[in-house]
Amino acid sequence: MSLDSSSKKDADSAVKTAHEDLLALVRSLTAQTKAGHYDELRDQKGELRPFWKTFFRYLDTAGLEGLPASSDTSARLIQQNGVTYNVYADNQDQVRPWSLNSLPLLIEPADWRNISASLSQRAKLLNAIVGDVYGQQKLIRGGYLPSALVLGHPGYLRPMQGVKPPGDIYLHVVAFDIARGPNGRWWVIGQRTQSPSGLGYVLENRLIVSRLFPEAYREMRVQHIASSYKRLLDSMKAAAARMTQDTPRFALLTPGPYSETYFEHAYLARYLGLPLVEGADLTVRNDRLYLKTLHGLQAIHGLLRRLDDDFCDPLELRSDSSLGVPGLLQAVRAGNVVMANSLGTSFLESPAVQGFLPAISEYLLGETLMMPSLNTWWCGEIAAWQDISPDLETQVIKPTYATSSRTNFQPAIASVLSESQRQKWRERIDEQPDLFTTQSYLPFSQAPTWEAGRITPRTAMLRVYAIASGNGEWQVLPGGMTRIATLDPHIVSIQSGGSTLDTWVMTDQPVDTYSMLPSREKIPRWLASEQLVSSRSAENLFWLGRYTERSESMVRLAKEALVLVSTNLQDSLPVLNDVMSALCESHKLVSSDAPSLTDSAAMFGRTLISRLAKQDEGGLLDHIDALEHALKAVRDRLPAEHAEIAQTMRQMVLRTRARSAIETIEVLDALSIQLVALVGFQSDRMTRDLGWHMLTAGRLIERLISMSEVICAFFSSAAVYTPRGFETLLVLFDSSITYRTRYQRQQDVHALLDLLVTDVTNPRSIHCILRGLTDEIKHLPDSEILMSSMPEFNPCEEVILTQVETIKGLGLFGAGLSDEISRRFFTLAVERHFAS
Amino acid sequence: MTQSANIEIEHVTRYQYQTDVELAHHLAYLQPLESDWQKVLDAKLLITPEPDQQTEALDTFGNRRTFFTLSTPHRSLVVSAFSKIRVKNRYVNFDPKATPSWGLVAESLAYALDRPYVSASEFVFPSPYVPRLPELKEYALESFKPGRSIAEASIELSSRIHLDFVYSADATEVHTPMLEAFEKRAGVCQDFSHIFIGCLRAIGLAAQYISGYILNKPVPRQEKLRGADASHAWVSVYCPGAPGHWLELDPTNDKIVGVEHVSVAVGRDFGDVSPLRGVIRGGGEHTLDIAVTSEHVRD
Repeated sequence: MSLDSSSKKDADSAVKTAHEDLLALVRSLTAQTKAGHYDELRDQKGELRPFWKTFFRYLDTAGLEGLPASSDTSARLIQQNGVTYNVYADNQDQVRPWSLNSLPLLIEPADWRNISASLSQRAKLLNAIVGDVYGQQKLIRGGYLPSALVLGHPGYLRPMQGVKPPGDIYLHVVAFDIARGPNGRWWVIGQRTQSPSGLGYVLENRLIVSRLFPEAYREMRVQHIASSYKRLLDSMKAAAARMTQDTPRFALLTPGPYSETYFEHAYLARYLGLPLVEGADLTVRNDRLYLKTLHGLQAIHGLLRRLDDDFCDPLELRSDSSLGVPGLLQAVRAGNVVMANSLGTSFLESPAVQGFLPAISEYLLGETLMMPSLNTWWCGEIAAWQDISPDLETQVIKPTYATSSRTNFQPAIASVLSESQRQKWRERIDEQPDLFTTQSYLPFSQAPTWEAGRITPRTAMLRVYAIASGNGEWQVLPGGMTRIATLDPHIVSIQSGGSTLDTWVMTDQPVDTYSMLPSREKIPRWLASEQLVSSRSAENLFWLGRYTERSESMVRLAKEALVLVSTNLQDSLPVLNDVMSALCESHKLVSSDAPSLTDSAAMFGRTLISRLAKQDEGGLLDHIDALEHALKAVRDRLPAEHAEIAQTMRQMVLRTRARSAIETIEVLDALSIQLVALVGFQSDRMTRDLGWHMLTAGRLIERLISMSEVICAFFSSAAVYTPRGFETLLVLFDSSITYRTRYQRQQDVHALLDLLVTDVTNPRSIHCILRGLTDEIKHLPDSEILMSSMPEFNPCEEVILTQVETIKGLGLFGAGLSDEISRRFFTLAVERHFAS
Repeated sequence: MTQSANIEIEHVTRYQYQTDVELAHHLAYLQPLESDWQKVLDAKLLITPEPDQQTEALDTFGNRRTFFTLSTPHRSLVVSAFSKIRVKNRYVNFDPKATPSWGLVAESLAYALDRPYVSASEFVFPSPYVPRLPELKEYALESFKPGRSIAEASIELSSRIHLDFVYSADATEVHTPMLEAFEKRAGVCQDFSHIFIGCLRAIGLAAQYISGYILNKPVPRQEKLRGADASHAWVSVYCPGAPGHWLELDPTNDKIVGVEHVSVAVGRDFGDVSPLRGVIRGGGEHTLDIAVTSEHVRD
């Protein structure tokens, strides 16, 4: 079929007009770039650059107008995925969402070829420098690198002197911050060598932004990034090959949930299929590194670490830290651990080093550096300082040793200072010149961002990652994290309130569509966290189970107590009142000196309500907090919704402040729905691995303890023989409906006991709890020993009092079992250090 | 002046723990250095209970360090170091006035393009226990007048510290910051040494921290020396023209090191050479008892 030529022409011109309309719209929505900055979006004539034209064409007019929604979408996606960035200065409870702008930064193939080649070269150079500094020290002796910047840098670790890493790779990952100057040329601003952050955020940003612009992403030949992550694991594997006959095992070492980038650690660990571990999960024996698991010590051959050098080994490094692993350095020196990255490389992060790199590159590699660093003067070289001092206004003053709080300071852009302020800086530098480094001020390019229905240019700096490929070369991940300054156009930093962009690197070659997902199936079972559960994860899961169940029973008990309060029946039921008062007290819902329900129902109610949202009294809020803490610590193993639920529950509890009994009951109802959702996520979404069995065992143990307490209380006080008490007991067991469908309105204590104790079809009956618990324990190591102390339980027993005694024994067994599990599996006693 | 002497040292460290220690990693610097002026005739290190693993190696400064691990539960740890050392007095015919001016030495240690590298410059930089403090520079400059020979000025500064500071075991603890000891004008040998080192580094000179022992059974009628009942510490100043280019001074006793001192380890500060440190799991509260004897013996 062929179109007749005139209608084809019409169609063509319609497309053309639509496209021109779109471009006009883009232009009308775009603010001016700040003078002196390179414009990523438009050329000098104000025309959109070709790739941006294509980008907007795929977006089309409707898409552009729909962008405000997209921006909300990305905010929502961030919220959902729990992408957060803890900023130290903030209250630790307040976890700010990671900020991501909708628009990506587009990098053309030719630009990328230059970036990629230049930074591979630099990564190789930096690795060679580390090799020299910890080896022959030709650079220091030859004056290529001042010893003040190496031996005088707090990041130089003497215990690593003479240590060669497996495969000679010191730097598995190097991050470079680069930016484009006014004429479009790229410059290296700085580098991160110790444990560069951001690889997790890069993934997450890509996931979100590629979903916002699916067509453009697909059609514009944007390079995929998964292969680079695989390369990271592959080169670690190759380096560790000599250590074991089997597949080497790695873990991701994190400082823990209070680290500012903990989310990223959990995310990256999950993506790479590595267990997320803290220092206390690891131990060193005979110069080898092990992970403490439920099945004893398991060898670990490498660490992708996100823990700073200083904290890695309290025996030889900072002794006041409990985040690390005592003896780790011995294991590293013995060649038994691949460290990604090696310890002791942070001296390369000093801006002062940049000034010496061109000559070092000539000396070590015989090559000229392909991408320039900013012109750099280390003031500790007196001639250099005297040289630049008169031209200080062209410079940015930076700390030479930013890693130490004593010598760190906020960089100062000298051009925006007054002459007298500059003079003060000169005096300060004269006093201790080695602490200061100056670099030429460079206005960075401005990238388009989408803000409030407009395209706003923002100052941008790109962080890219060079990853060792194991053959003495480094390859640059085709993408990265573009950081933008939202307030001050001079300062690009996440901590000072900036945001990020996904970075799209276009290729004129075929797109590498490798995905991490299929290869994950090939990862050995234990790596897929099938059976390898660290003791700490197990402990947190166990307590998560216990806290969840405990919170449920507290909520139910609080609600029933408030129902009693509000229905004002206290006079007629002293027995029930006493039982409920006692149970509330033992569940820390009221304090022991509070008036009981019988004394004053109203007072009792008020005390209970006011205590719900109180901290540090072992009440409901503390349980929710403990639950949330446990959730965070096992974030890599749980569905993302968990964290959100915990936060919602916390807010709900806080809402009970100064409420009436009726209103509080409503909140408690809502809370119990959240708790049900939490348990639902767990049973629906979690793999049935050891971790899950721990979680369930925790929940069942708590249920056994709590239910047996309730039964004993109701039977020994005879409250169960009152109609109201009978009902209350059913509600506390969450078994009213089952009872009613079977026995309607009749209140038969034997039938009740049957349902709550012996009935195996009632999931809350003692018998059912015990069966479930036995099933879970069977999956744990040493299950027979664990179950050996269980009292005789004969469900056919007729005499009620004997049954109640047995149930009391079962409750005690539950508490004992919990202690035994802790003692056996969670050997997490904190290690202490001392020196004499 | 005595030219040489034999010294025997016994250094016993006892830890008693309230509860079982399940796992312990330790690092000891208790075996003396061998040098041109110090010959190790005998050295033993006894650890009870016997470690599950024990390794010995030289650190970056050439010190002998011993790592040991105890992975069997224990309630006490006893580490006994015995050594017999022959020390020679290296500064017998040393003339402090004949050393170069301190300014020239400082200049040779600073980085400049084409200036030859001096390895002692590693000891000019601040270190964890000896941060750079302007107060110390001021204090140092009173002795370091322009053009003065480095040895003379250093010896005078050592004497001033001895005079100005009160020797008091109660004034400070192992981890007391140097500034606090400086402001209190009091401390023990560790503080005296750190302050002395800090003063020298503040004006661009290189100084090392030396841990070791000083004779505690002195010759009859001689006063007992300070710091003798435990391990001792003093300072080595980079001093071209002195034997071996380093001048060892003991500010705690206002002495040039002779045949009464035995060096065990050298580093930037206490942190590099602490005699025994460890990280333990379990143990509860602990008590610590350290006993040192060091005496002249015949050949």
